[in-house]
Formats: sequence, C-alpha cells, structure tokens
Amino acid sequence: MAETGRLTQSSRRSLMGSVGLLRIALILALLVIWEGLSRSGLLYRDVVPSLIAIAHALFDLLGHRAYYFHLGVTAGEIALALAVGGGLGLAVGILLGANRFLAKAYESFLYYLGPTPKIIFFPVMIMWFGVDVQSKIALGALSCFFPVALSVAAGMRQIDKVLIRVGKSFRAKTWQMVTKVYLPAMRQPVINGLRLGFGVALIGTLLAETKLSNKGIGFLIVNAYSTFDMPRMYAMLIVLFALAIAVNALIGRLGGLHSIRKS
Amino acid sequence: MAAADTILRAENIGVRFETSEGPVFAVDDLTLDVRQGEFLSIIGPSGCGKSTLFNVIGGLLGGYQGRVTVAGETIAGPHKAIGMVFQEESTFPWRTVIDNVAFPLELAGMTKQKRAERAQHFIKLVGLDGFDNRYPGELSGGMRQRVSLARTLASEPKILLMDEPFAALDEQTRLLLGDKVLQIQQQLRQTMLLITHNITEAVQMSDRILVMTYRPGRAKRLVEINLPRPRSSEIVGSEAFGRYVAEIWNDLREEASRGMRDEEEHALHHHSGGAP
Amino acid sequence: MSGSAIARSNAAPKLLGFVSVLLFFAVIEAVIRAGWLNRYIVPPPSEILGSFYRIIAEEHVLRRFLFTTAECFAAGVMITVFGVGLGVLLQRYELLRRACETWVAALAAAPVVLAYPLFMVIFGRNAVTIVMIAFVAALPAVILKTIEGIAGTRRVLLNVGKSFNLTPAQQFWKIQFPAALPVIFTGLRLGLIFALINVVGVEFLINYGGLGQLIEDLAERYDLAGTYAAIFFVILVSVLFFMALERIERWLRPVD
Repeated sequence: MAETGRLTQSSRRSLMGSVGLLRIALILALLVIWEGLSRSGLLYRDVVPSLIAIAHALFDLLGHRAYYFHLGVTAGEIALALAVGGGLGLAVGILLGANRFLAKAYESFLYYLGPTPKIIFFPVMIMWFGVDVQSKIALGALSCFFPVALSVAAGMRQIDKVLIRVGKSFRAKTWQMVTKVYLPAMRQPVINGLRLGFGVALIGTLLAETKLSNKGIGFLIVNAYSTFDMPRMYAMLIVLFALAIAVNALIGRLGGLHSIRKS
Repeated sequence: MAAADTILRAENIGVRFETSEGPVFAVDDLTLDVRQGEFLSIIGPSGCGKSTLFNVIGGLLGGYQGRVTVAGETIAGPHKAIGMVFQEESTFPWRTVIDNVAFPLELAGMTKQKRAERAQHFIKLVGLDGFDNRYPGELSGGMRQRVSLARTLASEPKILLMDEPFAALDEQTRLLLGDKVLQIQQQLRQTMLLITHNITEAVQMSDRILVMTYRPGRAKRLVEINLPRPRSSEIVGSEAFGRYVAEIWNDLREEASRGMRDEEEHALHHHSGGAP
Repeated sequence: MSGSAIARSNAAPKLLGFVSVLLFFAVIEAVIRAGWLNRYIVPPPSEILGSFYRIIAEEHVLRRFLFTTAECFAAGVMITVFGVGLGVLLQRYELLRRACETWVAALAAAPVVLAYPLFMVIFGRNAVTIVMIAFVAALPAVILKTIEGIAGTRRVLLNVGKSFNLTPAQQFWKIQFPAALPVIFTGLRLGLIFALINVVGVEFLINYGGLGQLIEDLAERYDLAGTYAAIFFVILVSVLFFMALERIERWLRPVD
C-alpha cells in the first residue's frame, strides 16, 4: 500500500545475498535428487548415472586430444555456416531494408519461411553437397540465413533517416554507405540477428551431424548413444550446452559493450 | 452553496524523498480544509508536489508527516469515501465500458442485474449513453476519461479526487468535459478536489483555489472564487474571470520561474563534462 | 495515405513477389529439361508436383498429419499449463524469480533438441520423446513472456486497483492477469511455433511419427521427387500453422 522509498543499501545487499543462497540451495537440491535417483535403481541402469561417473567422463573427455579435433570440426562447420548464411542474410537484409518495394515483395516470404524446421532439408543437402562437412555447413547456412536477414532488414528500417541523408549528401558510394553508415547505425539489430543466427546454425549443423556424419560433436553424441555410454553422453551435452550459452552471452555482450563505450 | 462543515482535512502534511542529492521535501507543512459540497482546485507549477499531495490524500502514499482525516476519521490507505481519477489512461482495456463502470459494484458484490442498472445510470451521467458494450480501444481519449470518471462515480464516494484528468486532452475537449464535470457536481452535490496546472480550468470550476509554492510545496494562498453558479464555459470570457486568472497567474509566475531556474541549475550541474 | 491507395501500393510488389517465384520454378524446370541440371539431384518441379498426388494417396498423409498435430497439441497443452503456471509463480515470488529467471532465459537459448539421443534413452523411440523435447524447448518462452506480461502491467492500472482497496488476490486476478493476457498469448504463439518445429524435426531425426517421418522414409527409399514433395508439403503446413496462430492472436488480443 505505501510506496517504498528507494531500497536502502543494506536491504539491497541482503536481497542479493538471499538470491545467491536460494540459487545454491536449488542447485544442491537438484544434485541431491539426481544422485538419489541414480543410486535408487528406480530407472534402468545408467539412464541417470552417478554424478561421480559423469564427472569422470567429463575429465576424460576434456583430457583427450580426439575430443578437441571433433570440437574443431564442428566449430569450423558452424563458423562457415555463419559466414555463408549470415553473409547472405546480411546482404539480403540490407537490400530489403533499403528498398521498400522489394521489401513488400519478398520480406513476407522470409518472415513465413523462417519459423519452419530446416533439418528436413538435410536429405536434399546430402544430394547436393555430399556426405562430408559441406552438407552440414549448407544446412547450418540455410538455418541462419533467415533470422539474420529479417533482423538486418528491420534494423535498416529503424535507422534514423537523417543519417542516411547525411551519407548521401556527401555522395558516399554504396559500399561506403554500408560500412560507414548502415552497419554502425544498426549495430544492435545486427548483433541480435547474429546471436539468433548462431543459435540456429549451431542446432542445424549439429543435428545434421547426428544424422549422418563420421566426425564432429554430433557424431560423438550419437556414438555415445549407440554404445550406451551414458556418462559420456551427459558429459558431452554438458560441455555443448555450456559452450552454446557462453557464446550466446558473449555475442550479446559484444553489442552491449559498444553502447557502454559510447556514453 | 457549500455548507460550512469540513469533510476532509489534511493537517501539516510533509513528504520527504531521498534522492541521490540528499533529502528533498516534496510537500512541506501543508494544511488544507475541504468543505462539504465544494469544488476546490489545487494549482501549482510543475514540480510543486501536487501529484504527491494527490497520492497522500488518496492513500496511495504512506510514510509522511501529518495526517489526513475524512469526516474525523484518519485515513490509513485508500479510503472508501474518496474516489480517485487518475491523469493517465486508466480504463481496463479488456473490459467493455459497462464492465469498466460496474467494477466497484462488482467488488461490492452487487448482483449482475443491479450492477448493469447502476452502471448505466452513471454512463448516462457522463454522457456516454449507448456506448455500453464498446471497448475503450474504440473510444477517443476524452471518452475514455469519461469512462474512468463514471467508474469512480459508481463507487459513490463522498469526495472525488482528480489528478489533472484532462491534461492529455485538447483545449476544446477539456472545456466541454469541464462543463460536464460541473454539471455532475451540481446534480450530485459532490465534493470535488481537482489537482491542475491550468488556471482557466481551475477558475472555471472552483469555489476555492489553493495555490501551492514551488518545491517544497507549501500553501501559498487560498483564493475564494465568487463567480455565480451554475457556471459554464461561457463564463471564461467575462471580466471578473479575467481578474481572477490574472491574480492567480501573478502568484504562480513567481513560483514557476523559481522552478525554471532550479531546473536550469540542475541541468548545468549534472550534464557538464560530457561531449556528445 | 488512404486505404485504397495503400492497397494499390502493396499490390504491385506483392504481384512481383508472386510472379518471381513462379518464374523461378519455370526457370528451374527449363534448366533441368535442357540437361544443365542433373534431374537425379534436382527433379523438375513438374515431376515434384506430380508426386504430390501420389504421396497423398499412398502415404496416408492425413493420418500422418493428424499424428503430428496430436503431438503438437499435447506439447501445446503442457506448455500452456506449466508455462503460464510457472510464470505466474515466479512473478508472484520475487526471490524465486530473481534466482531462476536467468536460468530460464539460458534454457531458452539452449539447443534443447540436440539432447534428443538422451531423451530417447529415457523415454524410448516414440511419441513421448517427441512431445517431451518439444515441451522442454518451448517452455522457457512461455514462462518468460508470462512474467513479462504480468510485470508489465501499467502502473496506473495497479493504482486504480489500490484505490479500490483490492486484496492482493483480487489485484492479481482482476487487473494484472487480464492486463497480461496479450503478452501471454504472444508467448503461447512463440511456444507453439517452437513446439511444431521441434516435433517435425525430431520425427525426422528418429524416424518415427507423422509428417517428419514421412520425409525420412521417402529419402531412405530414394524417392527423390517424393522427398522434395514431402518437404514442400511440410513447409506449407508449417507456414499455414504460423499464419493461423497469428490470426488467432490478433483476434484474441483485446483492443489495447
């Protein structure tokens, strides 16, 4: 009922402290339940392996050179997928953002084709590009093209029109407009599109690897599945998820960091 | 006209806020008596604490010095006898007009039939007859404010407390709505407390006007408006009206320019050192 | 601009879009017939169109469609109940929200579907796995949007409630929740889209289920034209589903 004044220093500190404590409590509870389930024998053996087994597998995984080879393969595929799909998306996005007519003609295609399952294109990718890394890269590129194109197109439209007029008044060439006006002016939407693009490129590439591959993290996961090496699978998934979330946060920070520098 | 008994009393109200620059008094030692059935406006420059006062009297703000009594009873939160009308858009967009107006009746547990009847009465009162089943999104800003007004009136408060309800509207709509409000006051013999920054509006509608100083907000002057009732927007052109407006503007101008100087100093001290 | 003027200015580009797509397929057809593109890698569009009928007749497309729809529906019900429920819970208990909200956001960014082998181990190679993956992948979006919607109730509406001395429960059910519904519907729309994408994707990957499985099946049989046709069909279904959801959301969203 009564409006609180600003939180005093000490009450804010105690709130932060309670949050931290609650988090630790929740994590501990989860771990305890996990270990309990694992030892209870309620589930088929190793579906929920003991935490020790998982930790063991984790060390094992990260200690072996072979893992890093596969990680490198996957990372390379994703990087190339982003380069191709993202690059194309950037170009198409700039074009659609700059030209109202083209946008009205084609953007709705991108908008409606975006949220569809791309993995189903994999058989076609294999036919076109073969069974090696190219088909995985192609699928990743297909996946990330759409979010990048749509984010960039929207980003173009929210650029303050006057900045575009300034560039044109100095008779800047197209390439200069792109690098010196458009891209700097829409850093946030581009970073955001990149973040989304990374997420779907990761998924696309990895799912393709799980389907048909003989190297890469996806291959390793399916390998662990077929040999029922559960601790290893959990370890790989943990590393994968941790990396995915970390890269996502990193890209996000990239956008934020720049805006902090500006003020 | 107004009977002499006091229905609302705000005694020695002081409101202190902690800011990054130290404590600031939004309102300082302000006392106000509101008579039954009267129309009292509180006017002051921006930053004089009138919205703070609105929240204090309405019971939405606690932790202040002094007290507010309604018919002798000290308030401790939003009081039944006080109905609030807010400045911003406050209709419930997901309810029709009639469901909006019937809201307090619904809370009171009235049956659906009775609710509809009562709500229709108030809808007619504010002149929105026929719009019962429309959604606020289909109405203009002025009409939506009327819905909010009807909703508050439906709870039949002894005192209607309004915080610049017409601020977001254009001048003509404002004048016409002002007429409507006066009409309602006449009909219901309603005690009304209006917070505003618009002198014309205040003089047009009020029996008395309290002029506040710039922060910290104190009572500067209480002006009796002796214009004949019933009043309408036509009175705006009369000579007596003009004199009242000039008088109040004189008081306000001093406070308003203090406010401007204060803001300029503030901007100077806080934005120095940063090149765009 | 007047309504008819806007319609006119949209007609030309839309026509261009439509015509250029037709043109594109016509060119592909010509290029394949001329032998410049290997028809054993890319079948001519006419052949793909032809196999549509064959696929629908022979592959029990309706049954598969219903199966996929049922999986989506199950996932949808679960994300609605748990998503909105958990969202309301987190919003209500400030401490819990502060502790868990970033975790939910992290889960939203996590590639849940990549854990499908794990889900298969736990639930088997069946519809339960498919529904569970879709559920976990789509849940965070609904939770986050529910929290956003309730927390974003306009201050003045809360003040109206306070001015009528509403109890906290009344304040929630009569003001905050209705005010949050538009955003919650957006969350449900997002969640349902994620659910569909994951359902079809996993069906394809584990070779079980309805439409996703159809594609995998046809690909394994080297039915080229059929595979292309099935992919087109699934994409079409996806797009229509998305459009329908948008329509529904716009219709349900009260005039704000």
